[in-house]
Amino acid sequence: MRALVIDDSRAMRRIVSGTLENLGFEVNQAGDGREGLDVLADGSVPDLVTVDWNMPVMDGLQFVSAVRANPAYRAMTIMMVTAESEHTQIVRALAAGAHEYVIKPFTADALRDKVGLLGLLPQEAVL
Amino acid sequence: MSTPDTGERRRSSDHRPVITELIDEATVQSIAEDVWTALVGEDEILLPIPGELPADVVSSWVDVVGPWTGTVVLTTGRESAAGLTRALLGDHAPAELEDDDVADAFGEIANVVGGNVKAALPGPSALSLPDVGDAPAVRNPADLCRVDVLWRGEPLSISVQGALPALPFPPSTETTLNQNGVSL
Amino acid sequence: MKILVADDSRVMRQIVIRTLRQAGYDDHDIVEAEDGADALSKVSSEQPDLVLSDWNMPNMTGFECLQAMRSAGSVVPFGFVTSEGSPEMREKAASAGAMFLIAKPFTEDTFREHLDGMLA
Repeated sequence: MRALVIDDSRAMRRIVSGTLENLGFEVNQAGDGREGLDVLADGSVPDLVTVDWNMPVMDGLQFVSAVRANPAYRAMTIMMVTAESEHTQIVRALAAGAHEYVIKPFTADALRDKVGLLGLLPQEAVL
Repeated sequence: MSTPDTGERRRSSDHRPVITELIDEATVQSIAEDVWTALVGEDEILLPIPGELPADVVSSWVDVVGPWTGTVVLTTGRESAAGLTRALLGDHAPAELEDDDVADAFGEIANVVGGNVKAALPGPSALSLPDVGDAPAVRNPADLCRVDVLWRGEPLSISVQGALPALPFPPSTETTLNQNGVSL
Repeated sequence: MKILVADDSRVMRQIVIRTLRQAGYDDHDIVEAEDGADALSKVSSEQPDLVLSDWNMPNMTGFECLQAMRSAGSVVPFGFVTSEGSPEMREKAASAGAMFLIAKPFTEDTFREHLDGMLA
């Protein structure tokens, strides 16, 4: 399983990547939506993308809209990461095509649960 | 200070609840009736009879974010929305209604209906500010509770619709194979 | 008495004012605010005797306004008039220093129930 973690905070990228790596994902990182699109264009399509809502250059909502317009990325599962203060706006990201969301601060368990719900825990993919 | 998202909020038996598990049409109807009586007029009636919405409709909605995440959407014809606005404004209604007046009134009705729907759903959850325009699309037809009524003979729909797509997604090849491994 | 009515919906402010009148409180000065920031500044400039505020508003919510008021030492009575009337909202309101929470939709009776002690 491959994942792409997009967040302008290096600390957040480290935390999320760490959790996903522990779950068996191979993880790439990007610092904003624009960089995220570049990483996608460069390599194979990840199974999971976690995207921060609030980023410079290209924010989470713009990234989701750009990605969902491209049929090559249809199979990607997109999880938004949002702060409590912004979270009522999360439905806009969902309407633009994101599949799930998590509110920070979140625990590793919360992220694991959501990844599990999405059917992306590597052990569950092995039937 | 915000409490960390430990997954507790949404872990209810390891699945995402769809709206039909949490609220029914009768409750939504009852909420709407209370709102109409208080805001539109004491003698106002919402007949639980579906009618065909006209081509020119306007919607207002609020989002609910919590153990269940989605939107409460009101949709009615433009004339009907204007009628609601006049009823709410009462004596303050101008001769010519502005778009702003309709957005305000119709938005506020969505706010009050939505707030009461939110209160009937598991919490903690948050309510967004209302918005007005073209209705957000239904994301998951299985996560939908819709009530269609007639107000003063005009069709009006109240849709409580989930924002999350149905699971599993994306459909993997494994889930579309039948028992013999033959692709469906 | 002077009452500050805060709601981002102009129609709802009118309905609150209308309901105050219908409930018998027609002898008071009313000041309006259209969001939490506006309300906070008018609490200072207008010195109301009571604030009736919506919860969810742009710029600053009614809740944030209440918190700011109480942090600054203001003891002006504050009540919410909001579409969200759940027990958890009421508790949150009370903990922050609100005297009551009136849920929409409300009637003139609801207003009398909550305001009779405070307004003549």
